Amino acid sequence: MNPAESILTRRRFLVGTARAAGLLAAGGSTVSWLRAASPGRDANPFALDVERLQHTDPKLIHYEQVARFQGCAPDPRRIAVGPDDRVYIAAANAVTILDCNGRLISEIACAAPVRCVAVAAEGTVYVGVKDHVETFDRTGQRLATWPSSGRRTWLTGLAAGEKDVFAADSGNRCVLRYDKAGKLLGRIAERNKDRHLPGLVVPSPYLDVKLAPDGLLRVNNTGRHRVEAYTVDGDLEFFWGRPSAGIEGFCGCCNPVGLALLPDGRHVTCEKGLPRVKVYSPKGVFESVVAGTETFYENAKTGALKTRSDGLVGGLDAAVDSQQRIYILDLVANDVRIMQRKA
Amino acid sequence: MNPGISKPSSVTRRQFLRDGARAAGLAGLGGLLGLVAERSTAKGTVWQIDPQKCVRCGNCALYCVLEQSAVKCVHAYALCGYCQLCTGYFEPDPNDLNTGAENCLCPTSAIKRTYIEDPYYEYTIDEQLCIGCAKCVEGCHRFGNGSLFLQVRHDRCLNCNECAIAKVCAGDAFRRVPADQPYLLKTDTF
Amino acid sequence: MALLWLLSAVASLAEQRFPPPDFEGGHQLPVTTTPPARALTLDYLDVGVLGLSLGLAIWLVYRRRSRKGLIVLSIFSLLYFGFWRHGCVCAIGSLQNVALALGDRSYALPLAVLAFFVLPLAVAIFAGRIFCAGVCPHGALQDLVLLKPLKVPPGLEAALSVLPFLYLGAGVLFAATGSAFIICEYDPFVPVFRLSGRALMVLSGAALLGLSIFVGRPYCRFLCPYGALLKLAAAVAKWRVRVTPDNCTQCRLCEASCPFGAMREPQARPGTQTHARDRRRLGWLLLLLPLLLAGGGWLGYRFSAPASRLHPTVSLADLLIRAQGSPPKIGALTPDDLALERARQAPQEILAAAAAIQRRFAIGGWIFGAWVGLVFGVKLISVSVHRPRTDYEPDSGDCFACARCFEYCPNELVRRGVIPATTLTAAAPEISGPPGLDRS
Ligand code: SF4
Ligand code: SF4
Ligand code: SF4
Ligand code: SF4
Repeated sequence: MNPAESILTRRRFLVGTARAAGLLAAGGSTVSWLRAASPGRDANPFALDVERLQHTDPKLIHYEQVARFQGCAPDPRRIAVGPDDRVYIAAANAVTILDCNGRLISEIACAAPVRCVAVAAEGTVYVGVKDHVETFDRTGQRLATWPSSGRRTWLTGLAAGEKDVFAADSGNRCVLRYDKAGKLLGRIAERNKDRHLPGLVVPSPYLDVKLAPDGLLRVNNTGRHRVEAYTVDGDLEFFWGRPSAGIEGFCGCCNPVGLALLPDGRHVTCEKGLPRVKVYSPKGVFESVVAGTETFYENAKTGALKTRSDGLVGGLDAAVDSQQRIYILDLVANDVRIMQRKA
Repeated sequence: MNPGISKPSSVTRRQFLRDGARAAGLAGLGGLLGLVAERSTAKGTVWQIDPQKCVRCGNCALYCVLEQSAVKCVHAYALCGYCQLCTGYFEPDPNDLNTGAENCLCPTSAIKRTYIEDPYYEYTIDEQLCIGCAKCVEGCHRFGNGSLFLQVRHDRCLNCNECAIAKVCAGDAFRRVPADQPYLLKTDTF
Repeated sequence: MALLWLLSAVASLAEQRFPPPDFEGGHQLPVTTTPPARALTLDYLDVGVLGLSLGLAIWLVYRRRSRKGLIVLSIFSLLYFGFWRHGCVCAIGSLQNVALALGDRSYALPLAVLAFFVLPLAVAIFAGRIFCAGVCPHGALQDLVLLKPLKVPPGLEAALSVLPFLYLGAGVLFAATGSAFIICEYDPFVPVFRLSGRALMVLSGAALLGLSIFVGRPYCRFLCPYGALLKLAAAVAKWRVRVTPDNCTQCRLCEASCPFGAMREPQARPGTQTHARDRRRLGWLLLLLPLLLAGGGWLGYRFSAPASRLHPTVSLADLLIRAQGSPPKIGALTPDDLALERARQAPQEILAAAAAIQRRFAIGGWIFGAWVGLVFGVKLISVSVHRPRTDYEPDSGDCFACARCFEYCPNELVRRGVIPATTLTAAAPEISGPPGLDRS
C-alpha cells in the first residue's frame, strides 16, 4: 500500500465508520437470526407431566362447596369439628377455634408446635403438642399436660373415645393408647411378627387415627397406601386400599394423609401430591369424590412448597360435622371448604 | 533522534502532559481499588443452587456450558422415606414396582434402587449418568418428602464467571456462595 | 473437613427433623457427598503466575527484545490460562466483576479476581500493553495463528477501533446493573478453550479464529473491552516499545512490519496554512463535543428501557404485567410459567425490584450514551489533529508489544550482531528486506 493511502484522514474515518456500521449490522442480524433459531425457554423437555391425572370425571363428584373461609393462623396442620360444630384448627403454636362461618371465637396457645387436635363428645379438647398431649376444657382452660412417651415421639393425629384417647405417633410408627387421665395403656399397630402385624410405614409425618362407629380404630398406613382397622387392644381386623394414581386408589408414595369418618362408617380420605378428597364405603370400596385435584389449585401446583424441617409437604385434612358436611382444610392455601352432598 | 525535525520544547511539553496523565491514571486506578477493595473478599466464590428456591424447571440440564451439566441430583438420605414406591424413581402410575425402564422416571436411568429390608429401599444417584434434569426431583417433591434435590457439583463445575444456568433459572435459585462452603444441602438449610 | 462439618450440622438438627425409619438390620444412612470446590490456594497460584508472566514479558520486550521468547511465553499462557484454566476468570471478564462490585453493595468481589483486573492495567500504565504481548490467552491464540497478515484500510480500522470502547461501556452498564455479564456470554474464545459451548458461540469463535489467520488479532483490535482500558493506560505509559534500539535512520524498513496497524510514520509539522485550517476545524469539533455528549446521553436514556429487559427480574415483571388477568395454568409448566408462578407469589416485590432496576438503567443509559458520544467526539478530534513525529514508532495505545517489528530495524540487527555495523552507513534505504529473517 502506498504511504499516502495509509494516512488516516477525517474523511477516510467517516467512510470507514459507514462501512463498519454496515459490517456490524450484518453481523448483528446473523447473530440474532442464529439466536432465534436456537432452542428457547418455552418448553421443558423433562417435565413430569401429571396433567392427565389432574382431571376428575364430573360424574364421580357427589359433593358441592357451600362455604369457604380463610384460616386465622399460619401453618395449619389438622382440623377437627367439635360437638357444637365449632371448627378447631391446629396451626403454628396454637389451636384456633372458629364458628362454621370462619369467624374466630377463641384461641388456645401452646408453647410448642401444635400438630393435631381432637374434641371429645363432652367438649374436652385434646391437643397434640409436638411430642405430648395437653388437655383443655371447652372454655380453653388448661386441664392437664401429659408426659411425653418417648424420644422420637411426633404426634400427628388424635382421636378421643368414651374412655380412651388415641394418639398417632408418626415418629415411632405406632398409635398410643391413653386413658382419659393421660396414662399410657398401650401401643397399637407396631410391627409384631407374633401378632401378624406388618407395622406402619410412615415416610412423612401424616399418620392419622380415627375411631369408627363400629368401635374399631382406623389408621392410615401411608407407605402401604392402606387404611387399617385395629381393635383398641391392637389386633388388626382388616385393611383396604391400593396404590394408584387413578381415582380409586391412593397416589404417590405415602397416602392417604388424613382420615375422617361419616356417622354410617363410610371413610373420607385426603391425599397429597394429587390433592383430592374421596369417600369410601365402610368396607373400603370407592364411592365418590368430594373434591378433585382441580379444586385445589394452590395445593396442586408445582413449585408452591418448600421442604420444611417438620417434614410437612402440603396436603389436606378433613373433618365431618353433625350435618354430615365435610370440612376440608387446605394446608397450602390455608383455607377451609365446607362440602355438602349434592341433592 | 534527528535534531533537524525535533522540537525539544514540544517534546518536553508532551512529556509533561504524559507524566500528569499517568499520575492521574494511577490515582484513578488507586481510587477504584480503594472503592471496591472494601467490598472484596479474600475467599473465592462459587455458584450454588438454593434447593428451597429451585422450581425444577429443567433448565439445569439444558444451559450448562458443559456437554453434560455440572448440576446433579443429590440425595438427603435423612429426609428420605425409603419408600417402596418412590415417586422420584417410578412414573406416576407405574405398571409394576420393578426396575424396568418403562416404569422409571429418570431419562438416563441414573437412579439406583437397592433393597434394604422390608419394605424399605434406598435410592442413590449415579452422577456419571445424571444430567440434572430435575424430573426425579419434581416427582419426589410433588408426592414425597423432597429428599432429592439439585446441586452444582464442584468436581465438575468450571465456576464460570457468570453461570450460564443462573441467567435462565426460573426459580432465581442460583447464587454465589463462599468457595469453602460450596453446598446448600437440604439438611442444613432449615 | 466439609464432611465433619456437615455431620455436626446434621446432628445438631436431628431432634427437630422428622426421623427416618429405624432399620431393624441397623442400616446406616449414607452421607451426601460434597466434592470440594477448587482450592483457594490455586486461585492465588493463578495470580502468582499472572504476575510472573507479566514480569517476564516486560523483560522479554524491553531488555531481551526477543520475539522468540514472547512466542514461548504466549504458548505457555495459552496452555495455562487458556486450555488449563478454561480462560476463566480472565482479566477481560474481571472488569465486569469490578463494575458489579461498584453497582451492587452486596456483591463480594474475590480478591483474586480484583488482582486479575488491576495487575495488567498497572503494568500498562508504566510499560504499555505487556499483558497483550504474551500473557492474555485470547491474544496469544490469535497471535499464534496469524500467518498471512492483510492490511485493514485505515478508515475502517479507525472506525472499528471505536468498538472496544462501546463494548466496554455496554459491558459495564449490564454488569453494574446486575443484568448480565455480556462480555463473558459473548466471549468467542472461551468455548474454544473449553472445547464445548453453545453452538452459536463455538461457531463465532471458529469464524473469528479463521479471520485471525489473515487479520491480525481481530478481537483485540476491534472488540476487546479490556483492551480499550489497556489502550488508555498504555497511551500514557512511561516506557514505550520502540522499533529501534537507539537511533532511527528513517530507512522505512519497518514501515509495513506491524500486522496490527499500530506503526506510525514520521510526520512533519504542517505548513501554516493547513495549520490554521486545522485549528479552525478543531475549534468546531470542540464545540460539537458537548452536543455529541448530550445527544448520546439522551439516546442512551431512550434505549435504556428496552435494554433493561436483559435483566431477568425486569423481563419477569414484564411477563407478569402481560399475564395479568389470564387464568392460572394447570398441567405441564414451562420454565417461563414457573417463573411467572414465582412472581405471582410476591407480585409487588417483583414489580418494585424491576422498577428500581429500570431507574438504575435510566441513569446508566444517560452515562452510557454520553460515553458513546465522547468516544466518537474524541476519535473525530484525534483524526483531525496532526502530531509531529520524528521517528517510525508504534502508537503506544495500539501496540501489543509483540516485538515483531524489532527484527525489521537494521539497528536492531546490528545490535544482535546479525549484520555488521558498516552496512548501515553505506546504503540503508536500498536494503529491500530484512535479510535472514522470516516475517513471523
Ligand atoms: S431424573 Fe434427571 S435429575 Fe434425576 S437422576 Fe435422572 S437425570 Fe438426574
Ligand atoms: S458455573 Fe458454568 S459449569 Fe458450573 S453449572 Fe454454571 S454453567 Fe455449568
Ligand atoms: S434452572 Fe433453577 S429452577 Fe430450573 S431446575 Fe435448575 S435450579 Fe431449579
Ligand atoms: S486486547 Fe484484549 S484480548 Fe487482546 S491481548 Fe489484550 S486483553 Fe487480551
